[in-house]
Amino acid sequence: METTLLAQSLLLALTTAGLYAAIASGLTLEFGVTGIINFAHGEFVMLGAFLTYFLYEAAGVPPLAGMLLAGLAMTALSWLVFDGFLSRVLKQDEHNQILATIGLSILLINLAMIAWTPDARVMHAPPLLPALQLGDVIVPGNNLVVLLVGIALYAGMIWFMRHTRQGLLLRLAADDPQLAVLAGVDVTRMFRLSFLIGGLTAGVSGGLVALILYVQPLVGVDLVMRAFAIVALGGLGSIGGALIGAVLLSAAENLTATFVPGGGSWGYGVAFVIIVLVLVVRPTGLFGSERRA
Amino acid sequence: MKTGLTRLLPYALILLVTLALVWIDKPFWIQLAIGVAITAITALAWDILSRTGQVSLGSAAFFGIGSYTLAIFEPLIGLTLAWIAVVVVCALAATLLGLLTLRLRRMYFAIATLGFALSMQVLVVVFPDLTGGSGGIAPPVLADGDPRWQLGLIGLLLLAAVALSDALLGLRFRPAFFMIRTKPELAAASGVPVVRMKIFAFIVSGVLIGLAGACYGGLYGYVVPTDVFTTNWSVLPLAIATLGGMDTTIGPLLGAIALKALEEVARSVIGGTGYQVVYGAVIILFVIAMPQGIVGLLRKAGTLAGRRTAAGEKKKERERHA
Repeated sequence: METTLLAQSLLLALTTAGLYAAIASGLTLEFGVTGIINFAHGEFVMLGAFLTYFLYEAAGVPPLAGMLLAGLAMTALSWLVFDGFLSRVLKQDEHNQILATIGLSILLINLAMIAWTPDARVMHAPPLLPALQLGDVIVPGNNLVVLLVGIALYAGMIWFMRHTRQGLLLRLAADDPQLAVLAGVDVTRMFRLSFLIGGLTAGVSGGLVALILYVQPLVGVDLVMRAFAIVALGGLGSIGGALIGAVLLSAAENLTATFVPGGGSWGYGVAFVIIVLVLVVRPTGLFGSERRA
Repeated sequence: MKTGLTRLLPYALILLVTLALVWIDKPFWIQLAIGVAITAITALAWDILSRTGQVSLGSAAFFGIGSYTLAIFEPLIGLTLAWIAVVVVCALAATLLGLLTLRLRRMYFAIATLGFALSMQVLVVVFPDLTGGSGGIAPPVLADGDPRWQLGLIGLLLLAAVALSDALLGLRFRPAFFMIRTKPELAAASGVPVVRMKIFAFIVSGVLIGLAGACYGGLYGYVVPTDVFTTNWSVLPLAIATLGGMDTTIGPLLGAIALKALEEVARSVIGGTGYQVVYGAVIILFVIAMPQGIVGLLRKAGTLAGRRTAAGEKKKERERHA
C-alpha cells in the first residue's frame, strides 16, 4: 500500500514536473540572455490558459490546437511588451527592472480580473489520451499529455539552443554581450528573441494549465513562484538546471502533500525552504555561474 | 548644499499634517493618513536596506512577524514587553535572514527574500496552535481604538523612521553604504566592516517594518496571514521608494502620498476588483519616463532652472561687456 502510494505520488510529480520545467525554462532563458527576471512570466501563462479555455469552450477548437494558438498569441504579446517598454529598462538598475515586470504583472492580472472576474473556471475537455495503468498505479490521460508536451517544449528549446545558428548567437549574447557586439551580433535582437521564445513556451504551458488545473486570473502567480524556486535551485540562466530543479521541486511537493499530515497546505512553502537551504550552500544555485547573478 | 531649513521640512510637514488631521477629526482623512504613514514607514525601511545594495522582496515577512509577535506575546508578558518583543524578534529575524543571504547577489537575493516571506506565511498556517492558522490572530488594539490617537502614534513612528533615514544618510554612514553597494570588494579592502554594516541595515529595516506591521495589526485588532504576509507588502515598499526616489528621505514620503492618492482615485473611479490596474500602468509609465523617481525629476528640473538662470546671467554679462 505504502509503495503504491509512493509510486503514484512520484509518477504524478513527474507529470507536473513537465509543466514546471516548461514554464521555468522560458523564465531562465529570458534571464540568462537579458539579466531580467520576468515577474510577469506567470501572467503570460495565465493568458495562455484563458485563450485555450475560450477557444475550446466558445469555438470548439481542440485543446492541442488551442495551446499552439495561445503560444503564438503570447509570442506576439511578448514582442509588443519587449519593444514597447522592456527594451528601455535593460540598462537600468535592478530595482527598476524588478519593478517594471512587477508592474506588468499587476496590470495583466487586474485586466484579467476586470474582463473575466476572479472566479475559477474548469475546462470540460474529454481526456486527450487514455489513462495509463501500471499495476495499481493510474496516471490520468491529461497528465500524460502534460508530461509529453512539457518534454517536447523543453527538448525543442534545448535543440534550438544547441543546433541552430540563432541558438548559437543567443548563447553568445548570454555568455558575453560585449563580445557578441564586437562579433557583429545584434544583441537587442537576441534579447527580443529570448523573450519571444519565453512567450511561446509560456502560452503553450498556459494550455497545459487549462488542461489539468483551473483557469483564473491569479493562476500564474502560484506557478511563477514555483518557477522562481526552480530557476534559483537549478541556477539562474541554466536551462539544464531548470529541468532538474523542476523534478526535485515537484517530487518534494508531492511527497510532502502525500506523507506529511496536513502537508497539502504547505504548497510552495516547501519549495522555498529548499531553495533557501540550497542557496546558503551554493549561492548561485546548483548549476549557475557566478557571473550571471 | 542642503540648508538646515529644507532638512527640517519633512519633520515639520508630518507634524503639521498629523496635528491638523487630529484637530479636524474627519474619519476618512485620518484613515487615509494612517495608510500613507504605514506604507511610508515600510518604504523608508526598504530604502535604508537598499542603500547597502540589498534589493529585498521580503518586507512582508517582517510586516507579518511584527503583527504576529505583538499578538502572541501580549497575553503572555503584557503590552509594554510585547512591543519590546516585536523589536527583539524582528531584529533576530533580520540578523538571521541577513546572514543567510549575505553571499547572494542581485536577483538571487531578491528571490531568496521573496521566498523567506512566502515561507513565513506557510509557517503561520502550518502551526495553528500558536498562530491561529489561516483563521488569523487578534493583536491588542492600538490606542483603545481611537483613530486620532492611532494616527498620532503612527505619526511618531514615521518621524522616528525619517530621523533614522536621515541619520543613515549622514556623513558617518552614507559613504560606507555607497561603497558597499557599488564596490563591495573595495569597501572591504579599505576597512569598511561590510558584513556588520549590511546586517546593521537589515536590522534597522526589519525592526521598522515590524513595528509598522504591529501598528497595522492594532488598527482593527485582527489580522489574517493573507493580509499581513501578502506579497503586496513586499512589492509596495519597493514600488514607493523607487517611484519616489531612492537613497533619499523625501522620496519614499512623496512616493507613499502619490501612490495612496492614486489608489483612492482609482478605487472611486473603477471600484471593486481590478482597480489596481492603475498601479500597474503607473508603475510601467514611471519606470520608462522617470527612472530616478519623483525626486530625480525635481532635481533635473532644479538643475535645468539653475542652468537657465546661470545662462541668463552669462548672457547679461556678455551684453554688458559688448
